[in-house]
Amino acid sequence: MGVLDALEHEQLESHSRSPGFKSLCAHNNEPLGSLFVLTFLSYIVTRRYNSTNMLTRSNEAWVSDLGTSGPAREAALEDLRAIVQKGLPYALSRWLSPDQPQFNSLVEEVTQETLLRVLDQLSTFEGRSQFTTWVHKIAVRIALTELRRKRWRDSSLDELTENEELPPPPGLLADPQAGPETSAERADMLARVRRIIEEELTDRQRQALILLGVQDMPMEDAARRLKTNRNALYKLLHDARLRLKRRLSMEDITPNEVLTLFEQK
Amino acid sequence: MNIRALIQKIKSSFNHHEEIPNEAVLGFLRVLESVREEDAPCDEIYARIDEYVEREVDKKDAAQLMPLIREHLDMCSECCEEYQALLDVLEKTSQDEK
Ligand SMILES: [Zn+2]
Repeated sequence: MGVLDALEHEQLESHSRSPGFKSLCAHNNEPLGSLFVLTFLSYIVTRRYNSTNMLTRSNEAWVSDLGTSGPAREAALEDLRAIVQKGLPYALSRWLSPDQPQFNSLVEEVTQETLLRVLDQLSTFEGRSQFTTWVHKIAVRIALTELRRKRWRDSSLDELTENEELPPPPGLLADPQAGPETSAERADMLARVRRIIEEELTDRQRQALILLGVQDMPMEDAARRLKTNRNALYKLLHDARLRLKRRLSMEDITPNEVLTLFEQK
Repeated sequence: MNIRALIQKIKSSFNHHEEIPNEAVLGFLRVLESVREEDAPCDEIYARIDEYVEREVDKKDAAQLMPLIREHLDMCSECCEEYQALLDVLEKTSQDEK
């Protein structure tokens, strides 16, 4: 007997102990008695249907079921597990295909971690979206954090030597298709922009730019390296961009002008 | 040479730092056109992104309704990746249910 059945059995028994139920049972052949039994049966069926049909659980029901202990919580967790596992392949579709060997274990790990995090952060759910969307969001964050780390590990294995020497700068200036004037112009512009970056960016901003823009390190990891958090790191970059934008406009250079120079052949 | 440049020069002679590759300089310039003074931090985007994606799936007008989130997504590649993945999930699972 499952936990849910045990619960219903208990309710059935408590009903049968109540005097009302007894009197009805005593007139078992009476239409009223059959009606009661029918109503009661349909109550059980509806209950079971609701507990397996995830679409009918409201946000409040999710929160209260997951917030209790016992069978209601177990059932909600099982439903949630199925929902997360159904959504994850779509979330991963731009990163991994289902026939890659690590796919199943990743889905399994992310699902497990998502359920733990959902329980842990249940009180922070504000009901701004469907509960299941909120859960998918948590799963996406966990999965992508893992995949970004992997992407970075794989690429840094190829690119970085032990002393973290950077890869040589790509030969933008030595573009064979560009004429001599364009090359000179490019070199000149790049030198100006470099000087501006040199003067405007703090060491920390330049470090962040190298970690994220050159080494492609995930933000979480770059933040840890710089002993800060993702928010503060984003702010650091944002401030760097604003400073640079202001300074360029003071010098009458638009970013597009620089980019066009490098994109033309 | 102005004072600032002089200080910078002295500073950099003491503190030899890594050269930023040309590609990264250009990559940095690429987003500058769309930088706004006002920008929400990643955590605020994370807090609202589920609501944003639902609105996008239902009515396709999330960007007009919540322009600050859209601007952040244009600037921040990681938040944008998460937005895209969540959008994929909601679009595909709602198709499955139809
Ligand atoms: Zn962000």
